[in-house]
Amino acid sequence: MDLQITLLLGQDGITNGAIYALLSLALVLVFTVTRVIFIPQGEFVAYGALTLASFQAGKTPGTLWLLAGAGILVALIDLKIALAAGARQRIARILLWNLGYPAAITVLIFLGKPEGWPLAAQVLLSLALVVPLGPMVYRLAFQPAAEASVLVLLIISVAVHLALVGLGLLFFGAEGSRTPSFSDAALQLGSITVSGQTLWVLGSSLLLIAALYQFFGRTIYGKALRATAINRTGARLMGISTVMAGKLSFLLAAAIGAFSGILIAPITTIYYDTGFLIGLKGFVAAIIGGLASYPVAAAGALLVGLLEAYSSFWASAFKEVIVFTLIIPVLLWRSLTTHHVEEEE
Amino acid sequence: MKRLLVVTLIAGYSTLALADVKVGVIVGATGPGASLGIPYKNTFGILPKTLGGEKVEYIVLDDGTDPTNAVTNAKKLVLEDKVDLIIGSTSVPTALAVVDVANETKTPQISISPLPGSNGKSPWAFSVPQSMAIMMKANLDHMKLNGVKTVAFIGFADALGDQIFNGFAPQAEAAGIKIVVAERYARTDTSVVGQVLKVLAAKPDAVLLGGSGTPGALPHITLIERGYKGPIYQNHAVVNKDFLRVGGKSVEGAIVPTGPVIVADQLPDSNPTKKVSLQYIKAYEGMFGPGSSNAFSAYSYDAYLLADRAVAIALKKSKPGTPEFREAIRDALESTKELVGTHGVYSMTRTDHTGVDSRAVVLVRIENAGWKLIK
Amino acid sequence: MMAVSQRGALFAFLALLGAGPLLLPEFYVTLLNYIGLYAIVALGLVLLTGVGGLTSFGQAAFVGLGAYTTAYLTTASDLPAWLALVGGSPWLALALGLAGTAAVALLLGALTLRLSGHYLPLGTIAWGISLYFLFGNLEFIGGHTGITGIPALQLAGVEVKSGRAFYYLIWIALLALVWATHNLLDSRAGRAIRALKGGSLMAEAMGVDTARLKIEIFLIAALFACVSGWLYAHLQRFVNPTPFGLGVGIEYLFMAVIGGAASVWGALLGAGVITVLKQWLQDLLPKLLGSSGNFETIVFGVIMVLMLQRARDGLWPLLARLVPVKSGEGQRQAPQGEALPRRQMPAAGTLLLEVNGATKRFGGLVACNDMQLTVKAGEVLALIGPNGAGKSTMFNLISGVAPLTAGEIVFLGSRIDGLTARAIAQRGMSRSFQHVRLLPTMSVLENAAIGAHMRGSKGVVPAALHLERVEEGRLLAEAARQIERVGLEKQMFEQAGSLALGQQRILEIARALCADPCLLLLDEPAAGLRYLEKQALADLLRRLRAEGMGILLVEHDMDFVMGLADRVVVMEFGQRIAEGLPEEVQRDPAVLEAYLGGVE
Repeated sequence: MDLQITLLLGQDGITNGAIYALLSLALVLVFTVTRVIFIPQGEFVAYGALTLASFQAGKTPGTLWLLAGAGILVALIDLKIALAAGARQRIARILLWNLGYPAAITVLIFLGKPEGWPLAAQVLLSLALVVPLGPMVYRLAFQPAAEASVLVLLIISVAVHLALVGLGLLFFGAEGSRTPSFSDAALQLGSITVSGQTLWVLGSSLLLIAALYQFFGRTIYGKALRATAINRTGARLMGISTVMAGKLSFLLAAAIGAFSGILIAPITTIYYDTGFLIGLKGFVAAIIGGLASYPVAAAGALLVGLLEAYSSFWASAFKEVIVFTLIIPVLLWRSLTTHHVEEEE
Repeated sequence: MKRLLVVTLIAGYSTLALADVKVGVIVGATGPGASLGIPYKNTFGILPKTLGGEKVEYIVLDDGTDPTNAVTNAKKLVLEDKVDLIIGSTSVPTALAVVDVANETKTPQISISPLPGSNGKSPWAFSVPQSMAIMMKANLDHMKLNGVKTVAFIGFADALGDQIFNGFAPQAEAAGIKIVVAERYARTDTSVVGQVLKVLAAKPDAVLLGGSGTPGALPHITLIERGYKGPIYQNHAVVNKDFLRVGGKSVEGAIVPTGPVIVADQLPDSNPTKKVSLQYIKAYEGMFGPGSSNAFSAYSYDAYLLADRAVAIALKKSKPGTPEFREAIRDALESTKELVGTHGVYSMTRTDHTGVDSRAVVLVRIENAGWKLIK
Repeated sequence: MMAVSQRGALFAFLALLGAGPLLLPEFYVTLLNYIGLYAIVALGLVLLTGVGGLTSFGQAAFVGLGAYTTAYLTTASDLPAWLALVGGSPWLALALGLAGTAAVALLLGALTLRLSGHYLPLGTIAWGISLYFLFGNLEFIGGHTGITGIPALQLAGVEVKSGRAFYYLIWIALLALVWATHNLLDSRAGRAIRALKGGSLMAEAMGVDTARLKIEIFLIAALFACVSGWLYAHLQRFVNPTPFGLGVGIEYLFMAVIGGAASVWGALLGAGVITVLKQWLQDLLPKLLGSSGNFETIVFGVIMVLMLQRARDGLWPLLARLVPVKSGEGQRQAPQGEALPRRQMPAAGTLLLEVNGATKRFGGLVACNDMQLTVKAGEVLALIGPNGAGKSTMFNLISGVAPLTAGEIVFLGSRIDGLTARAIAQRGMSRSFQHVRLLPTMSVLENAAIGAHMRGSKGVVPAALHLERVEEGRLLAEAARQIERVGLEKQMFEQAGSLALGQQRILEIARALCADPCLLLLDEPAAGLRYLEKQALADLLRRLRAEGMGILLVEHDMDFVMGLADRVVVMEFGQRIAEGLPEEVQRDPAVLEAYLGGVE
């Protein structure tokens, strides 16, 4: 292994690690706010990328029907609750977001012919289509069981994952897709060429992490999410709705997931079931961060990416064995260093 | 009490008793093998309503590419639906798992995935696809012709990857071609840069890839991206239009062994498979759109052709739904002589339950996003 | 529906099971075989996850170990010499598989069970995936393609080959394991396992070796999975890595949770419901939606979500409610048994506990600074002070929950600082908790019996085989005696969670007394008690004192303290500010300042 190979593998590991980092941030966010270990995170990666690929191929993505269907279901449930509670003022809002919004997107897709749009507009449309699925999934699957144990929430998470993967296969078929690169420019660093898309991935990841940092530190919604993460009951007493916090965290997670998928679709092929393994590695990183610390989770993500890149060079058949076996000592170390006595409180 | 529930739920099954010929079909239409399983399955939607002249009912079950499910499905088909013939399954481990059930229940099985030793050691099992060894021999002959001395391999870390490697390695060794590196990757991996760098460092004369469908394009694309200039050999599991779509420019020039059906229109009229292949292509593309025909659904079609002949013979001896009928189908399959299919010409014997020869293999090159027959 | 007795329901169930293969078509027998195999694994998860609170995604890998061991040993023709002896025999392969699984489980358990919280499930995912890929990459076990031609089982010279024959083998194995698990949960070891879920703090304080217990249940669950794998290999006669991957590992957990992870029958129900539902969807959906797509997983996922939203504890509790089963009558009488041997109590006035210069810092915060106190046999020492004065920290230091930063603690003449909570408990110190740590779904009797854990010795194996009934009877009788002593005999068979908070505190005292201590540490026992209850509690403590027990009491209720305590130590900001007789302390200016002053 010469220097150039070392550097190339490092670049590969960091690129993948950046995606794992984004996903791990989303997972940490969702877990701390809702206690849900969000296994379906990976499906948003696939949905984002494959929806964009569908637009580019001039097809109507199946996710549109999912958005419409989920919107109708949410509207029905929320209307029933609103009417039972006599809260008529909520009706317009419910109809607008759950029926009006999907209808608007549908019209846009059928009349707008997104096939010929510039890439940036196609990306925005894909996000506009996939991201609202996040809060809708929260509303339909998790909100009715929000107070259940972490184990039950985890199993619901797995069930949602199964349903979404099945839908992915139905919508996009078993074969994968790629999308064109955001930029064909390349950066020459010594003997290494760094492709434009790699720079996009790294830059966007950094930017998103910084944006999230600002969001949590500066905005009222960000602070509300942090408060909920630290103490759910306390936050509720302070008038922060846990439902709102849950939906918001799912919205962010879906946005991060879908955007990650769109970022890597030009570098790799995305399949309907790609998301699970990517999500799992994001999850590994999140756990290394103790499901609580964003910077440590991001560092863990880079570690996973690098481990993967180097072990795929040295013993590719045993890559997963190596990655996941080496995770155990890291977990042990994290577990021992974050050890705390169960204090009486 | 739980038992009551189970019994009530189970009682929800209905089994229709019809005197038609019943064919059970097991495909891996979900799970890791879905990209192959779906076209395999599609064929059963275009087949005629009769088999061997008798009305036929196809019962298609999905095994999710899991052998446990394949066995459950096989048992259900044999014990509940009382099928006369099983077609399937679509991956080697699932097909092998079905072999045991078929053998024990004395039900003829036509596997649409290759079986080790052509019948997986069961007198009741037959297989349609060319063995890996035949396919890889075509690659190897081309390599020898072009002076290739060293080969690198990158394949799936699953059963398919194992078979392609094992189909190639012994023959290559015998022919004096050295395999310098053998790397693996998972179907859903997002990067194979590590494997490709290792291959490049070994400077092989040629690279053989052992993936399937669109995931088979990933190492191909990465090799080109990393500046590999030598010849790339693929395998027949990548032959579908999605592979060309995803692979794009990167896969141009690749050499692929496959059945003649893929280049039917380029074959001389003297080739016996041409007519049958064009028939199949017309029927399949009529249903699933232009360019949708592929090697996998053609295997299903050949399985149908074999079954059609065997059932016609068996119907003269016995009635569907009886053990005698099943045995008659088995015997008839074993006596198949020069049956022209899309992938080749089938002649079975007691010891050879695949029955294809070198006529079942063509080498194609990818040119202008299409498959071009290498003459 | 008429109420049926528990025994009657069980017999009806067994009769149905026994007759099943004779009445049912072959395919249903096949399904029941798979249900049985899955249920064996799920049963291990009930013990590990549902009861013990340790989530594992990796059970499928243990199934794989069992399956591959027998597949390899019974088919390989070129076994290494040291293995050649066992080659060809499925039964020896089972023994070897169990031994191998135990070894692997011990190693993995030693590594991953140290992981706290969410690290544990991830750890299990990690080795689950590693083992799966290892199966696929080892040439000698057939790589990803797998091993064919595994021989059928021979049982007493008969070949167990048909589905019906196998059915009896699987279900007898499953029922035996259900019986053993049921026995285990209803025992000293079982109570300790159930205590794990509430956190290890209370369990350790009652003398339970939680680390060892976790390994034990992990081992049991792994061995169950191995048995299932062994049966699977000989039923299927073919193995490849697919059924041992992470996805299947998740599915086992699914079965346990859907069925009801808190009950052994939940494992059977979960395995049954999921297996049957999948078959049913496979038949039904193509008829409804056509065969062009694959809707099974989608509909399956949606049904599971809805089911969990409506039945968070799984389906078993719903089913149990649907069928009104009378519980056995014998349970309602206080258990009788020979009294357990008691500790030699130190004579009244003997120095029990001596704390010298105890200091505890959390980072820069000094929670306890240079604390001194002593407790003698036959006296009540009250530790009082305003909120945040460091009383509970002091308690934790004495009982070994938290280590000292400096100073020493001597109990019965030897130093105990640095010892674990468990070791200290074994020396005769027992405690209650300020925030009640009971197991709310267990009965009052069982909760108290946890306190007697150290006075028994029978472990998991005798418990599973019910060979410890004599000792168990004595432990329960002791628990009943202590419950009567504190005056909770009327509630003995109620769930601890249904008691009023005051009664729960009293139950904590009964649990502490079950350990036969000579020093009792009580953290705010009178909080939440009504006047008469306080009187009764004070009487109880006086009686204990008269018997020679030393009592260290943290309490806020001044009337209660002053009427009861022999001496009082007052803390503020982690310091001792006064010590003396109750009436002296009440007049101490520093104490008055601490309680009344300082408020600007």
